[in-house]
Amino acid sequence: MTDGGAAPARVYAEPISPWWSTGRLRFVAILLAVTAFYAVSWHLAQVSPSKLASGLPKMASWARKAWPPATDELPVLLRRAAETVAMAAIGTTAAALLALPVCALAARNVTPSMAVYYPVRWFLNALRGIDSFVFALLFVAAVGLGPFAGMLGVALHTWGSTAKLWAEAIENVPPGPLEAASATGASRVKVLSFALLPDVAPSMVSVVLFWWEFNVRASTVLGVVGAGGIGQELKNSMDLLDFPRLLTIILIILVMVTVIDHLSQLLRRRLE
Amino acid sequence: MSPPGNGGTAIRAEGLVKTYGHDVRAVADVSFAVAPGEFVAVLGPSGAGKTTLFRCLTGLTRPDGGSVSMHGRELGRLHGRALRSARREIALIFQQFNLIRRLSAVQNVLAGRLAVVPTWRVLLRRFAAPDRQLALSCLDRVGMLDRAYARADQLSGGQQQRVAIARALAQEATVILADEPVASLDPESAASVLETLRAVAAAGVAVIASLHQVHLAMSYADRIVALRAGRIVEDAPVGRVDAQAIERIYERNGEAA
Repeated sequence: MTDGGAAPARVYAEPISPWWSTGRLRFVAILLAVTAFYAVSWHLAQVSPSKLASGLPKMASWARKAWPPATDELPVLLRRAAETVAMAAIGTTAAALLALPVCALAARNVTPSMAVYYPVRWFLNALRGIDSFVFALLFVAAVGLGPFAGMLGVALHTWGSTAKLWAEAIENVPPGPLEAASATGASRVKVLSFALLPDVAPSMVSVVLFWWEFNVRASTVLGVVGAGGIGQELKNSMDLLDFPRLLTIILIILVMVTVIDHLSQLLRRRLE
Repeated sequence: MSPPGNGGTAIRAEGLVKTYGHDVRAVADVSFAVAPGEFVAVLGPSGAGKTTLFRCLTGLTRPDGGSVSMHGRELGRLHGRALRSARREIALIFQQFNLIRRLSAVQNVLAGRLAVVPTWRVLLRRFAAPDRQLALSCLDRVGMLDRAYARADQLSGGQQQRVAIARALAQEATVILADEPVASLDPESAASVLETLRAVAAAGVAVIASLHQVHLAMSYADRIVALRAGRIVEDAPVGRVDAQAIERIYERNGEAA
């Protein structure tokens, strides 16, 4: 008899794994692969703490020079900020309008045929895969400098993203109400508009608000490639090393993005 | 709205056969007819073929053999417009109610009018006054008028199922097929739903409901049709179904009678 407690009635077999077991070997292999990945990434990213150490005092001196922020050009800068918000708003709205007819084709449960579904999905993925910054770069070359190029860039990228998220919202709708509505003998258009739309409309609006908010943030950099908005002023100031003006611009961006974020969140919360 | 009233047949199944795969006979040679105003309860253990029978009756599943006819018109021979208009006379009631949750009760009842309302009215959600009045009167008939403007997802299960019955009435269906209409309801709600179905039948609609509880079938239906292994093993008015017959339906390994 053993010393601790009652002897168990039977001995239960447990799996024994030797040190060379496949599980352990796999663990070591994964560890090595991850380490190698970070080592290569560290090299490729040219990480250099010493450069950061020598660069930080430079930034600190800029910060000192930047105070107080410049206010003489405030009206112009505010106008540029408004351009950014407008370009995001119109771009997002155009994207939503374009996404509306496409999203039903890209949703498995309502698409008329898989022969339509797959090409539409590929197309949307392509739009999503190219950032609005890249589109803006192309449009600046095609339609010239200014916020219109930025708006087009925002619209194309957001089109793909919005349609994909909408299609996913449609796919998550319970099939029962749709089945019940079509069982009354109603046509497809009637069923979709009457039984599907009320279910997905709130999440569709929520998606659009999210992308508007996201695009306001993303649009602040579009000016760097000449696609209008506050980003253009940001780049000018940086090129001229005009730090008080730069600080003003950064503060405007911060206030603008915070206000839009809160507004969008407020609206989205009211949708439920 | 007006009950057919003639003593004929609302829906008739003849020699229905449905086989899944090579040898799974879900429904084997099922024939029965239901008259307007009759409330038939379909009983049977799980896997007896109740759901397949219902799917064949509604046309969601095409039977391998046999036929279904509505008021003398065989559904298998109808196409296009004629088939749609025949289907319109069959309304479905589901176990999970299947209301559009964000719409009000009365809008859900108006869904029963979708097939006949012009598309632009559906798109703009502007139903004509007669349709709206009809929807309200249907809600009145199922005792849900006071909740007409409540959102569907704020109603209890039993209330939602009564709204679904009102939707069937708004569809002006002459046959209501209810697949397990009370299976997910508490006893009190189940009673009110079956009461409503009985009242609807009394007004001239043929009601066919599959039920799990024998006592509910016995107290609300006019007639029992029992399935076992895809065949009808009992088809009799409630008054003539006794305890022995019930045992036969559910007995574990007896042969079908």
